[in-house]
Amino acid sequence: MDKACHLSVVLDLSPTQWHLSAQPTNPHPLSLSAFLSQLLAFLNAHIACKDENSLAVFGALPGKSVLLYASSERYREDGLEAADANTYRPFKIMDSIVMKSIQDQVDALGLPEEEEPIGLVGALTKSLCYINRVTNPGSSSGTSRSDDAAVLPDPRILIVTVSPDQSPSYIPIMNSIFSAQKLKVTMDVCKLFGSDSVFLQQAAHLTGGSYINIERPDGALQYLMMSFLPPPGIRQLIAVPTQDKIDFRAACFCHKNIIDIGFVCSVCLSSEIPIALISMLVFTAHIHLSSLLSTSTRMFYLPHEVPYKDTSTIECCTTSSSGCTASYSCCTTPYTSRRGVTPAYTCEHASEIHKYNRRDPSTGKQWCDAQWHACGSAVVGDPQYQYHHA
Amino acid sequence: MTSTESHKRHSLIQPFRAYETALSTLGRLHIIPQSSSKLSLNATFKTSLRHAITGGGASSSFGVPAEGDSRHPSPSIETLDAFALERWETILHYMVSSGAGRNPTRPSQGVLFLLQRSGLMSGVQNSSLQITSLGFQFLLHTPHAQLWELLLQYLYMAEERQMDLVEVLSFLFMLSTMELGRDYSVEHLSPTQVAMLEDLRDYGIIWQRRPQSKRFSPTRLATTLTSSSPPLPTASGGGSQGQNQGFIILETNYRLYAYTDNPLQTAVLNLFVSLKSRFPNLVVGSITRESVKKALANGITADQIISYLTTHAHPQMRKNKPLLPVTVQDQIRLWELEKNRVKSQEGYLYTAFASQADYEYVLNYAKQLDVVLWESSSRRCFFGSLEGHPNIRGFIERRTAGNA
Repeated sequence: MDKACHLSVVLDLSPTQWHLSAQPTNPHPLSLSAFLSQLLAFLNAHIACKDENSLAVFGALPGKSVLLYASSERYREDGLEAADANTYRPFKIMDSIVMKSIQDQVDALGLPEEEEPIGLVGALTKSLCYINRVTNPGSSSGTSRSDDAAVLPDPRILIVTVSPDQSPSYIPIMNSIFSAQKLKVTMDVCKLFGSDSVFLQQAAHLTGGSYINIERPDGALQYLMMSFLPPPGIRQLIAVPTQDKIDFRAACFCHKNIIDIGFVCSVCLSSEIPIALISMLVFTAHIHLSSLLSTSTRMFYLPHEVPYKDTSTIECCTTSSSGCTASYSCCTTPYTSRRGVTPAYTCEHASEIHKYNRRDPSTGKQWCDAQWHACGSAVVGDPQYQYHHA
Repeated sequence: MTSTESHKRHSLIQPFRAYETALSTLGRLHIIPQSSSKLSLNATFKTSLRHAITGGGASSSFGVPAEGDSRHPSPSIETLDAFALERWETILHYMVSSGAGRNPTRPSQGVLFLLQRSGLMSGVQNSSLQITSLGFQFLLHTPHAQLWELLLQYLYMAEERQMDLVEVLSFLFMLSTMELGRDYSVEHLSPTQVAMLEDLRDYGIIWQRRPQSKRFSPTRLATTLTSSSPPLPTASGGGSQGQNQGFIILETNYRLYAYTDNPLQTAVLNLFVSLKSRFPNLVVGSITRESVKKALANGITADQIISYLTTHAHPQMRKNKPLLPVTVQDQIRLWELEKNRVKSQEGYLYTAFASQADYEYVLNYAKQLDVVLWESSSRRCFFGSLEGHPNIRGFIERRTAGNA
């Protein structure tokens, strides 16, 4: 806690969502300008905590992402307000630069651009790159404030978001999470408006950060100060709210839908289903699952209802109210089973993979089955597949 | 299972202790008033903190900037750095060379007085100030620690000079929040603070064009008061940039190479190294028993020598693990132990007992009191510590009176 820390803020600047958030019909409307004044107070507090603390603010705009402010850069004084005896100078510089860049960026947005998806992933990866640069100063970065590597040991990212999840960005977000884990970056998420974000929940959980869906957005400053100001080093002293329930659902690679149950290729673990293989697929996802399977007991029989013969369409299975958000599968089943590769069934609650290889006693041929195991109290089942019978 | 439990408990205790320490620190600063039931910030502190973070208020606590002046533009950062460095090194250089009999530039009277008051230097008249053992230790500290040591001393002195401590402190903190390379106005300062300007100028903390100038600029020494960034960027750089971290290479054969042309650093090294040869950018010497003993005699400890060598080690040395050769470290410590071999303790020698029985009787009594430091029954004498003397004396007197 004696060490300096770095904070990167990723600010969601989606005009549509902020407009919706500011609607007076909301129980607690919050406009962007009202929130920015709260955010600036929070950023000031972060700078005030320690003289060496550094800060970077990234904006996620429709279709692009920009660096709004970085404390390591030197800004020219021309456009800034004159010094004032009652305000700490670095606060003033930071505040006016952040406001000015947001103003510039928002002004530059054209009308048609507003419909583009928000550049959250871009902002996230930029902030990770920035952290990588300041924590590992190379020989070339002579002007950077970080004199030695020990100066910035405690980097973290705060994502302030108002937009809903965009399922196409599942893979890049997961990749950002993994790089954040490698860089030992904590990711905090502050959800100001809208329903819970599945991916960002996972991001906060996997990097040891905290995810807060703010109930009273008009009092956001209180949440920011109490939960996101202490650096990770102090969080064992100051209790920071954590999630009691985390949505671990993933998005399928083929249609980018958020699914409860999916099929994971045991070979590459992440492959999309190639179109050329569709006809060869012996088992694929079922079409009517969401209507058929509403309870976890029905899920027990799920595999038996999966057609073994090839189907012309592939869809992702989605079940509601499943006790276990497991994903399993094998996209290239005929191939893999012929080659003796076992499909893997993973349950993310237990994060275990159970694999079984058996030989059919009568024919001597290898066949695979898999056992789903219990998640909590709900026994999910023991589906069996016999691919080569097909 | 038990080991994990104990580990868990241990990891729980650590944060708890840190939490208690933090609370008690805040309590002692009166930021959180003592209360058994709830924690709440001091009301004044709360309002001021809120003002500071959100901006506004009318306290002028961050310094009133001076109006731009076309005839005298604000000094450049290089000028300020050079000024601060020059002032600061003058002070240190004066200290380090006072023992060597040379006559370097004298700092101003105020600085000399402060050095004398703080016990870093001593002398009957100002002309013959001699560095003390405290002063030698001071020289081996980091510039940041040195600066605060002097300023704390200044605060003690301010109390005696009937200056308002609150104003002195708030001015120091105001300086630390100011911006490097900007002019600030003198007009809004209180008389105490104006009086401080002169002292701070002598230490190199602020810069003024003329003593009566209506404007002043803080130097890097001032703006880094409350941070841990180096207060003197070029102080130990030996003139060249990029080397400000370290310049000393120490080998296992006790030879030491210091890449510096800075006379101050050479002089500091001279405290515990016997210097052999000097080149334009390099000083070569070796750490010997005599040189270390000289330093120890000056009151410098082995740990201070080692920590000075560690903090100023050349980047090339940083590849080594451990940084300094173990042999050299151990030897410096052994030399220190050598010095500490003899320990003196005050006491009384009891001798010339009339008979062996008398001797043993008194000795027994002294042993019961646990005050015997040394005894020799063949010579019938023992040595007792100072605090046991009244008792033993009374005992002997009572005994002789009883015999008589």
